[in-house]
Amino acid sequence: MHARRLVLAVAVVALAACQQSKPGRIGIITALSGSQQAFGQAHDRGFQLALEEINAAGGVLGKPLEIVKYDDQSKADTAAQGVAKLVDQDKVTALIGSYSSESTKAIVPLVARRGVPLLMPTATADNVLENTQGWSFRLCSGATDYANGMVSFWKDAGTPKSVAIVYENTNFGQANGAAMKKAATEAAIPIVADESYTAKSPSYTAMLQKVKEKSPDAIYFASYLLDATSLMQQSRQVDLNARYFSAAGTGFSTPEFPTEDKGAGKDAEYTFSVTQWMPESKWPGSAQFAEKFKARWGSIPAYHAVQAYTALKVMAEAVKKAGKWDPVAIRDALKATDMPQTTFGPVKFDARGQNLHPVLVTQIQKGKYVIVHPRAEATGEPILPTPKWSER
Amino acid sequence: MAFLQAFLNGLLVGGVYALIASGMALIFGVMRLVNFAHGAFLMLGTYLGYYGWTLLGLNPYLAFPLWGAALFALAVGTYWLLVRRVMGASDFLQILLTEGIGLVLIGAAQLTFGADYRQINLPVAHRITSVGALHFSVGYILSFAVSVALVLALRQFLARTEMGRAIRAVAQNRTVAPLMGIRVERVSAITFGLGIACAGVAGALLLPIFWTNPTVGGPYTLKSFVIVVLGGMGSVQGAALGGLLLGVAEQFTAYTWADRYAEVVNFILFLAVLLFRPQGLFGGKGA
Repeated sequence: MHARRLVLAVAVVALAACQQSKPGRIGIITALSGSQQAFGQAHDRGFQLALEEINAAGGVLGKPLEIVKYDDQSKADTAAQGVAKLVDQDKVTALIGSYSSESTKAIVPLVARRGVPLLMPTATADNVLENTQGWSFRLCSGATDYANGMVSFWKDAGTPKSVAIVYENTNFGQANGAAMKKAATEAAIPIVADESYTAKSPSYTAMLQKVKEKSPDAIYFASYLLDATSLMQQSRQVDLNARYFSAAGTGFSTPEFPTEDKGAGKDAEYTFSVTQWMPESKWPGSAQFAEKFKARWGSIPAYHAVQAYTALKVMAEAVKKAGKWDPVAIRDALKATDMPQTTFGPVKFDARGQNLHPVLVTQIQKGKYVIVHPRAEATGEPILPTPKWSER
Repeated sequence: MAFLQAFLNGLLVGGVYALIASGMALIFGVMRLVNFAHGAFLMLGTYLGYYGWTLLGLNPYLAFPLWGAALFALAVGTYWLLVRRVMGASDFLQILLTEGIGLVLIGAAQLTFGADYRQINLPVAHRITSVGALHFSVGYILSFAVSVALVLALRQFLARTEMGRAIRAVAQNRTVAPLMGIRVERVSAITFGLGIACAGVAGALLLPIFWTNPTVGGPYTLKSFVIVVLGGMGSVQGAALGGLLLGVAEQFTAYTWADRYAEVVNFILFLAVLLFRPQGLFGGKGA
């Protein structure tokens, strides 16, 4: 009995080892379950579209490209385990991920230690670029760009007399909160409230009430989708009004957010958000990407999907340039990346590994995202001031 | 006024906490079982509420007895199949088993419902009602009212009925109770069912004002522990009061200090009670 079990166990392990140690694959870590699943799903779809296109065009180095996905369950510690699993067991040569800044921050030192290149598609906290030792690259713009983009819009549309900053108590939230503090201070906008909260709580009314007592002219949120919905619904409940309800992208910038059955519905109306990409963006393939996505999944993609899509394409391009599945060669190819024509705009990394990417500001008008800033790219005029809850 | 508002909002959330924690306290008090699967069963309640509404048009505020009954049946089945085997075993085994049940439920939910989050759009739940300068969400009021009514009903059930007396007898002494003709296994099964039903109904009541996904329950397992300790290990009444207290403490912390410290305050309360008043804030001798 015991002997048979032992043989079986050895066979299973051997089989698993055979299957797993196949070099020449790209590992992907993202939030396929847990509270950030909506974003992980956007990632997943973006990766899927990119993979299909890459393989339809002949794959990479003469073979169809293969990816290995790992679900970080929206948790940083699980993301860290993902590096061990993908690199040590599955022997992937390069990594893309994760979704959140919290999870991404956790994997940056681990990939550096293992000497595997990492491309970060969505993490906005600027500290993900610390301690990379040259192994990590970021495709998206960061928290500082977000805050500066929003302040620049405010200046255009009428500088607010005061701002309240409300952010999730995680790496993403803190980074965006701190960036807005800095940007507002530089623009001489007084910060009247600085509130960080624990994500996924059922009630934020006490915090929002505290904000209301400060009567801020503008509010800047940094929140994921589920909390963005709660925050707007509960802002209505406590009758918190401001000239600008604005946000650091993320939850406030997803196709689900303005819908009734998956977001805040009417309570999302008039909110401003920074975003990194829109189907109307002028970059080649933007409209086509959005159409393809919509035909397949029925919703207009948010920037998170296009970042994932572009990340896989950039990584595949780097592998092609490197000419072999070798982490050092791929890293060097990433460093030398110069792709002026991607769907997500030009991609080129600076010395820190940062891709310089511009941001847009949108407003939800009648349930749709309308670009209101910068002027050159605007698809509509901002509606200001935001109507009071009692007048909606 | 603002303090009053924070206090009342805290009570409203606390009512739901009270129901969840009462279930856990009942299971702990009677069965001496730490139920790590509590949040996972709560999650099942949210999905029953969700599909009841989207497929059958059943308003969770009216249909909750159905979802409670479904969870009760599932829990009794789980008891006979699994939990029964670790009764009286070491804490470690019990924790492994209940944690395992929780993981299986979460995994099964991910397979059947997907990892995607869900919410329902129940117009009444998002309506706002105002009393002077105080504003309340009708959804919270309804969730609170049903929760508190159920906690009171549970209390009456334990105090007044034959089965309630049997449950209390088992809580007091598992060895002597069978000598008095009480069928301990049956009492345990019913207790487990009732405790889980509390969590499930609370889930269904949270849904209209919140959202769900397969991992939504985790934080509530943790919160329930804190509340059960605050209320005196195993005291249902204590847990009910503890739930209200925790809700108020969270909102006060958010209002006077910062929302991010609400959990810190929870755990400080937890440690302080364990250190200075291990019998719980409200006395309590079990069930």
